[in-house]
Amino acid sequence: MIRIEGLTKEYAGNAVVRDVSMEIEAATITVIVGTSGSGKSTFLRMINRLVEPTKGVVEIDGTDTREMKAYELRRRIGYAIQDHGLFPHWTVARNIATVPKLLGWDRKKIDARVHELLELLQLDPDEIAPRYPHQLSGGQAQRVGVARALAARPDMLLMDEPFGALDPVIRAKAQTDLKSIQDRLGSTILLVTHDMAEAIRLGDRIAVMSEGRVEQLAPPAEILTHPASDNVRNLVGDDDRPFRYLSLIPVSERTEEGTAEGTPIAADRSLYDALAEMIWSGREVLPVVGEDGSARGLVRRGALLDAARSVA
Amino acid sequence: MIPRPDKLGAPMGALLAVALALPLASYRANRIALAEARGLFEALPAVWAAALLACAVATIAVALFVRPPAIRLAVPALTLLLLLIAIGVAARMLMANGADYARVAPGTGFWLAGFALSILITDAIVRLKPGPFLRLGVFALAAAAIAAILVTGEWNALSILAEYRGHAATFWREGAHHLQLAFGSLAAAIAAGVPIGILIHRSERLKGPVLSTLSLIQTIPSIALFGMLIVPLSWVAANVPGASEIGIRGIGMAPAFVALFLYSLLPMVANTAAGLSGVSPSVTEAAAGMGLTSRQRLISVELPLALPVILTGVRIVLVQNIGLTTIAALIGGGGFGTFVFQGLGQTATDLILLGALPTVALAFAAAVVLDAVIDVLPGAKA
Amino acid sequence: MSRPFVFLLRLALVALVLAFLFVPEAFRPLLEPFAPVGAPAIYDRASLLDLTISHLLIVVAAIVPATLISVALAILVSRPIGAEFLPLSRAIVNIGQTFPPVAVLALAVPVVGFGTWPTLIALFLYGLLPIFENTLAGLTGLQPAVAEAAKGTGMTGRQRLFQVELPLALPVILEGVRISLVIALSTATIGSTVAAKGLGEVIIAGLNSNNLAFVLQGGLLTGALAVILYDGLGEISRMTAARS
Ligand SMILES: Nc1ncnc2c1ncn2[C@@H]1O[C@H](COP(=O)(O)OP(=O)(O)O)[C@@H](O)[C@H]1O
Ligand SMILES: [Mg+2]
Repeated sequence: MIRIEGLTKEYAGNAVVRDVSMEIEAATITVIVGTSGSGKSTFLRMINRLVEPTKGVVEIDGTDTREMKAYELRRRIGYAIQDHGLFPHWTVARNIATVPKLLGWDRKKIDARVHELLELLQLDPDEIAPRYPHQLSGGQAQRVGVARALAARPDMLLMDEPFGALDPVIRAKAQTDLKSIQDRLGSTILLVTHDMAEAIRLGDRIAVMSEGRVEQLAPPAEILTHPASDNVRNLVGDDDRPFRYLSLIPVSERTEEGTAEGTPIAADRSLYDALAEMIWSGREVLPVVGEDGSARGLVRRGALLDAARSVA
Repeated sequence: MIPRPDKLGAPMGALLAVALALPLASYRANRIALAEARGLFEALPAVWAAALLACAVATIAVALFVRPPAIRLAVPALTLLLLLIAIGVAARMLMANGADYARVAPGTGFWLAGFALSILITDAIVRLKPGPFLRLGVFALAAAAIAAILVTGEWNALSILAEYRGHAATFWREGAHHLQLAFGSLAAAIAAGVPIGILIHRSERLKGPVLSTLSLIQTIPSIALFGMLIVPLSWVAANVPGASEIGIRGIGMAPAFVALFLYSLLPMVANTAAGLSGVSPSVTEAAAGMGLTSRQRLISVELPLALPVILTGVRIVLVQNIGLTTIAALIGGGGFGTFVFQGLGQTATDLILLGALPTVALAFAAAVVLDAVIDVLPGAKA
Repeated sequence: MSRPFVFLLRLALVALVLAFLFVPEAFRPLLEPFAPVGAPAIYDRASLLDLTISHLLIVVAAIVPATLISVALAILVSRPIGAEFLPLSRAIVNIGQTFPPVAVLALAVPVVGFGTWPTLIALFLYGLLPIFENTLAGLTGLQPAVAEAAKGTGMTGRQRLFQVELPLALPVILEGVRISLVIALSTATIGSTVAAKGLGEVIIAGLNSNNLAFVLQGGLLTGALAVILYDGLGEISRMTAARS
């Protein structure tokens, strides 16, 4: 667990991060979202002490980070950034091995770990491991960056706009992949983005930052239904809010008894997907099926619209 | 409480303190006699020595503990000015009780103090982050101060000026030769280099071979190139009608001019090409979109935008040529090198200085002025 | 030009230089037409091989310490403790490079006398500048994302310097060494005017006695050495740069 208390950074008397406090549970994704210049990166970088806080405390599992050497702290925290920052003179394998080598792991263990991580990130180890960064595509380089951050099984992962340089299609895939990796490994992730859609898709909780302050820290649904301030409301975008909200709720939550005609929708898809299906196929009711294909009931358009209206 | 001393001020202050203890001037009974050291108080009237000492102490204090760059500039600058005048006073005083052919030159203390003060001044100027006009202003002021000292005859008793009086006529003639060679070859290099640069910018195929040939030429040691050019130029002089009438000869200015021209080509060509390829494609495309012909684009868009980089090439060439022209003296091409090599031949330090100091000053002036011009240009690096 | 052709050209040049150094007599017929009647066509006051070796030794003796010291200085001013000196050191290098190498050489003579020393000092001082400038450019020109990653992965300052910054700056540093070497080779030639032992002696003897054969052999030899060195180092720095 990470406990942050009154974290503040001032440059020449100007506070760019002001008195931020939060607790981050293990095995969750917390997304920091805000406009550019709102202090997100500075906040993130204070956690691994790339920026020294002016005031405040960061505790990891009860230990004050100021009591550790900065470089030792950083070896325990994975860090992935937008331009991946792979070392251009090292192969992919050597890049991923950076922290294990610094920690003095033996070679066999390192090799096995590199292999395992490349497979986890769906990169062919034999093909990719010996390459140099300039021989990778943008998406591959980004994955290698994440693999390097995960290499030494860190206590937590800090990610600063990790998908910022990717095109929309690869970006969406990278987001789902990150989510499934997090599910499998149970990692604790703190991720920075300026994209609210990304925040809603990935976050267990979202912290909205504005002018150095956290204006709201809440699960995505609550951010959508009860934005704490105009800033948060603007960031969500009034027009999109109902749709964003629908995308968070699984079909199973609004499933009713009964049967209906036509192609069914899976119970774990979102209400947003169900609405899209209704619009495309011109139906008012969809049959719902479980993972095994068994009938679960139906979902009505009226129920969807009611759910969406509850955001307003 | 005493504040923490400045990191640069401490070593430079120490250097200045050491310099004060070293001989300010050196005295020789004649031009080639052994030098005898003269300390601060032996070389100067007591008032002058005390004044210089006071200024130096003030400078050390400022260097150690004062922050504002303006003061860090003014105090060492005043001390340097005083030092420059004092060395003339010292020479007059030492000469007064010596024979006519005695020589007085600045001693190690003078040079060391001058060095420490120059570093402090440079540091203060850098901390002021001066724009081009301020830099030019400071430079003009320094040049004017030295000119004033020279014109008023303050330094007349110094040995280097005694040497100058012995060579007054040739000094200005060789100076003119030096400038002719340096600027003439620069002009020729601009005339040839800019078109070649445009050409290789447009033809990727020519670029590699042209640039590698020109950089190979640059690697050839200067004496070797100057010397080897004697062979073809002697042949031209002997066999091409009219060539010797226009002054082409195996030795002298002609091979020097050709060698300097060849050395100058690389910076001119490479910088022209680099400047042109640095012009953003969106700008040239916009110009093309508005219907400018390729020639109009070149003249009114590309070349003006490339100008700062091209001028950087000119700066490199000019500084390089002013230095290299010194070598021309070895093949009878004249210039300040004449004094340097004569001085080396006769072991006459003053004669070496008479050739080397103006060369250094010219190269420095060219660099300062051209740097300022490049910064003033619109579109120069911010 | 194709690579095998360039390779053959290099090989031929090296072979030619070696042949000329070990059996200069074989080249007499080529040079004879340029010598005045009755004068020797091959330099005879010292062995060309000895002169070449001593020429190269002076260059190496100056550039090796110049490299070590300027790389060390550049590292120093690019660390936080030396950061205060960074702008000043840049200014000094800029000013220093306007000093013509010949002037530096000539000004060293009054201080240390004639012989090898003034040449060594001039070569050393002048050699510092390009290497310092390039090392600094290499160390400060690190991509921000790479610098951030190096810190973020928990490398100590020393690990960052030796594992990331220096290896990535290496091609630029080598380019600086290459520039310094070429200047040093050229300035060492002028060193003969202050009685340093080197190939300039042959050219200057030729100029003084109107013996073009001397001028040509000295000129071609120093020219060829410079080209071989420049080209060879270029190849090495290309190899180190291949990946970044
Ligand atoms: N080293 C620094 N010195 C001064 N100001 C800084 C520094 N780093 C960041 N800032 C300022 O702090 C503010 C927040 O920056 P940052 O944390 O990078 O924002 P974000 O990541 O949200 O875009 C910006 O206004 C930025 O200019
Ligand atoms: Mg940011």
